[in-house]
Amino acid sequence: MSRSAPSPIYTLRGAGGPLNCLHFSCHGGDTPLLFSGSGKGAIHMWNLNTRRAEKIVEGHCGSSVVWVGTLQGSETLVSQGRDMQVCLWDLSEGRSEVMDSVCTGSVGFCQCSVLETSPGTRLLAFAGQQTEEIKIIELPSKTAVCTLVPDAKLGMVMCITLWQPDSGPGPLLLAGYEDGSLLLWDVTQRAKLSQAKAHPEPVMCLTFDTKCLRGISGSSDNKICSWMTDRQNNLQLQDCVTLLNPGVSQLCIRGDGKLLASAGWDHRVRIFGWKKLRPLAVLQYHTDLVLSVAFSDHQDPRQRLLAAGSKDQRISLWSIYNEAADTG
Amino acid sequence: MVVTISKMESLAPNAEVRLAVAQCFRTLTTSTDTKDIITTLHTLHSYLDEGPESRSSSVQRAEFRRAHFSRTLQFLVSNIQADWLPSLTAAQRTELWDGLFLKGPPEQALLVLMDGVGELRAGTNLDHVVSITEKFLQRGRLADLLWSYCLQTAPSDSPQLRETLLARIVALPDLTANRLHLKNKPLFLPQQYYPLLATEMLTALERTCQALKDGTDCSLTFVAQTLGKVCIQGHSGLVLAVMAPRLSVCTRSDMVWQRVCWKLLENVPQRWMESVLTGLVQAVNGPDALGRIIGNLALTNKKAQFVITHKLLLLQYKYETRVLRTVLGHLAADRERRPLLIQVLRSLSQAWANPSAVKHTPLEQQLYVSKALLLSVSLLRDAELQELRSELLQCMLGGMQSHLDSSVVRIRHMGMVVGECLSSRMDINNTKLKFEYDQDEETRALLSLMTPVTGDEPEAEPCERVSVVASPRETPSTQNVPSQNKSNTEPDSDLDSDDELAPYDMSADEKMSKESPPRYLRDCLETLMSSEDPERVELSLRVADGLVRKNVFAAREISVQLTKVLLHMEDKYSMTGFLSVRQAAMVALTVTDCIPVTQYLTSEFYSLNYSLRQRLDILEVLALAAQELSKPTAEKRDPSISIAGATDSTPYPGEDPVHWRHVVEKRIQSKTKRLRQGVTRPPAEASPNRYAPVAGHFFFPLLSNYDKPQVTFDLFGGDHLVLGRLIHTLGLFMHLAVNAPIAAQMGCALLDFVWSVRYHVDQMVRRGVLFAVCSVFLSMPSQNLLLDLSEQLFDTRTWLADVAEGDPDEDCRSLAIQSLVLLDKSLKRQLQDQQALSTES
Repeated sequence: MSRSAPSPIYTLRGAGGPLNCLHFSCHGGDTPLLFSGSGKGAIHMWNLNTRRAEKIVEGHCGSSVVWVGTLQGSETLVSQGRDMQVCLWDLSEGRSEVMDSVCTGSVGFCQCSVLETSPGTRLLAFAGQQTEEIKIIELPSKTAVCTLVPDAKLGMVMCITLWQPDSGPGPLLLAGYEDGSLLLWDVTQRAKLSQAKAHPEPVMCLTFDTKCLRGISGSSDNKICSWMTDRQNNLQLQDCVTLLNPGVSQLCIRGDGKLLASAGWDHRVRIFGWKKLRPLAVLQYHTDLVLSVAFSDHQDPRQRLLAAGSKDQRISLWSIYNEAADTG
Repeated sequence: MVVTISKMESLAPNAEVRLAVAQCFRTLTTSTDTKDIITTLHTLHSYLDEGPESRSSSVQRAEFRRAHFSRTLQFLVSNIQADWLPSLTAAQRTELWDGLFLKGPPEQALLVLMDGVGELRAGTNLDHVVSITEKFLQRGRLADLLWSYCLQTAPSDSPQLRETLLARIVALPDLTANRLHLKNKPLFLPQQYYPLLATEMLTALERTCQALKDGTDCSLTFVAQTLGKVCIQGHSGLVLAVMAPRLSVCTRSDMVWQRVCWKLLENVPQRWMESVLTGLVQAVNGPDALGRIIGNLALTNKKAQFVITHKLLLLQYKYETRVLRTVLGHLAADRERRPLLIQVLRSLSQAWANPSAVKHTPLEQQLYVSKALLLSVSLLRDAELQELRSELLQCMLGGMQSHLDSSVVRIRHMGMVVGECLSSRMDINNTKLKFEYDQDEETRALLSLMTPVTGDEPEAEPCERVSVVASPRETPSTQNVPSQNKSNTEPDSDLDSDDELAPYDMSADEKMSKESPPRYLRDCLETLMSSEDPERVELSLRVADGLVRKNVFAAREISVQLTKVLLHMEDKYSMTGFLSVRQAAMVALTVTDCIPVTQYLTSEFYSLNYSLRQRLDILEVLALAAQELSKPTAEKRDPSISIAGATDSTPYPGEDPVHWRHVVEKRIQSKTKRLRQGVTRPPAEASPNRYAPVAGHFFFPLLSNYDKPQVTFDLFGGDHLVLGRLIHTLGLFMHLAVNAPIAAQMGCALLDFVWSVRYHVDQMVRRGVLFAVCSVFLSMPSQNLLLDLSEQLFDTRTWLADVAEGDPDEDCRSLAIQSLVLLDKSLKRQLQDQQALSTES
């Protein structure tokens, strides 16, 4: 007997624009926070206890915010806007000032990826000025580490993710391109390790589970494809799931590696079991494209939330599959 | 000289015995000395004791058994209240008094005992006789009785005596129950007695087998008569449940047993043959066992042949499919019996194809005949099939036509399945019939009959050994199963981790359409009329219902036009749920703008160039609309509930504004004491019935044109499907019009209308008619019923009684009974009211 379809536990309104990106910061500090970036250039900092926007910062001259993230707990905020700027904000002690900014030169939608290499230093990967170019710089020194350009014509860089494998010496980078290809780069060697054609359409989003070296990507068609990297760092395509309606704007894996959420263009968030990609639930609430999903990083697994941001200017929060969570 | 001496000698012991017995009687009547009594009883015993130490000669004993035993027992029973009887010790009484009943010829003892049970008054004496009877049964004296008749040692008795004895044996439970009432012994209950009788018969048969092997002749007439009489009295189930399995096992390897069984059944009198056979085919498991027990009885015995080939297959349709399998398998199993199978197949196929049978016999019987037909076809060999091919083909074509013509869905399905099976079995130029029908339990059961049961079903051995052996074998296997499962799941438990997450209901997940649905009714109409885009048409059709109800004024402007469009709409794009969506929209239109739309629909019902489907649609829409109108309008919602409904997320407990109010209210309710009795809630608010004022618009136009035959629509000819629906719908209108002022007129008109079709051949029409009559009696005020219909009521009653008795359709019969009850109730109420009025005035 299947349970009836779930409904959101609450919603956040008043962002005043489509919600391009969401980011939870719940593990440290006393108030759980949710950052959201809107299409009107505002970054909201939602207090999840009061369910109100605690702070609103505008730093991208009104152009759309495509990505937000935090560094060092929630002290430093990173945001990327369509004004080709990546800004670092100091949020400590109630401040909200731009500490630093980097000009990416990219007019695309590709979200940045950040990787902490040692305390205090981190790598920032972003799409560069040229069509297929990915640049990686070191922060806070802003020294360029490398520029990765594929040999073949693959179209724009659509999404990237940077990670440090347990075995290898240097960080690796996964990138999805406009023609549907996925490329695995070695950052220190500045060389392409492998390539796979995952989709016939542009890769809209990808996410990677570093624990089991398995990732999944979504496209503008009605398939999401999972793949994994083997010891020789070869990309191998695995199973595909066909969705009822085409278009996925974001994918997110929960911290415990059990759930996968997809933000669909069909106004719905879909939940899958991450191991076998078994469809588990369809979350229907939004009335327009869902643009972003995020799982919270609560330490207590029972408090974990799923947030979905939509073009209809609302964020819905869901509490799903938290009962059976015995292993965090 | 020699002759006279031998006569003298033979006379002498007879007289001697008579004298001795008379002397004994005298002593027993007059003596008061216990010792005398005991010696006398011993003397009587001596005539029964066999063996060397016996004091009497064998001639004397035979004479006593022949002529004096019954007399003695009768004397004892009639003197049961004698003074000396209580003075004997219990052991003496058991040995001397009771023992007499258990020793001599059992048939005489049984007769005397049963007479005693019948005559004695309730009391200790009766209890005594009853306990002796119990002992008599427990000691297996019944088997001795039957066996004595097998050996024909029993005196050549008169037929009357034999008849009485049979009656006593067979009816013993009835006799004792009538006499003893609640004090009846458990052994005399049918559930115990008849199995006992069955085992005693088996014992007698076993002794017969043994005797035959030893070369003695036996007669089974009496056992056969007993069996027949038990069966005809309706105890065949109990008796044969014991006998059939045992016989089936014994006849397996033993030819003597088989011969004994055959002889037994041959000897069953003709008039009881049927009940024995019907009991037997139900009790045996499988055609082989039946064949071993009855042999070729069907060939030698006319009565048996008639029962097996005709009654069991064509007339008595109450048996399970298993019985059919047994009977037909039995006919097919032997070369000599196969002609019978072919004969049966001929008559079955004729019965199946008979068009009047399709119309006039009960559905269950038709199903039964279909099953039998399929089974016998599956049993045919290919060569035989070739012979019968033309006949079968004839039967198939004719029968399918009459089945498919029927208006009952189950009959049509039956025709389709049988047609498919026959055609696939006959293999006509490698073509097969294939129908589209929904598989249900019935069709699956029919289809499964074509696949023969593989292998003989294992016969249930009556010995317990098997089950004892089987049970320990099973237990380890059941223990194995979970452990295997465990070992299966363990290695890949990691992979299974998705399964612990139970999926939510995802049925609401649907494909998104690119088009947005129309927001105005006129756009909707426009699209439905002119658009060729399937998606837009579908969306428009889906929202039409809601739009009509939302904007009543807009709907009234275009109601008839939209109805026309919807009525003529075809499912061009094979939408899912097209019919229901279209129907919902039309119902909404009829409800919103009742009079013009009903006028339009009812006039179209009788006009040219509509398909049957469209006419049925009209009727359905009208019926649904009338139903909706007659329901009280949906009550206004509680404001607090509507607030809760408006919040677009299901609220978390704790933040729900209704929640605390609810809690507080509940608390107040629980603390408040109400001193009033009865309903605490205010009664439901009265709202006007929206149907009553317009009922006539639904009803009368449909009655006005029915007898005008048209080229394309012949209501009273071939289109009886529509006629049935029409009458049913009219009945529904009538039913919904209860309490409406117009109901009386409607009732009169409806009764008039249905009168001409009350004996229609189609059962759907008849059901409709009876439903209409029911609703007339339900809805018409009783005073009108008596005043307006007084002259028709009598005829109606006779007709209803006739239907209730003789209609082949079960629904028709029950509906007729229901209408009779309703009519009586209504009339009674009216007459009582009149009486009350007259006494008041």
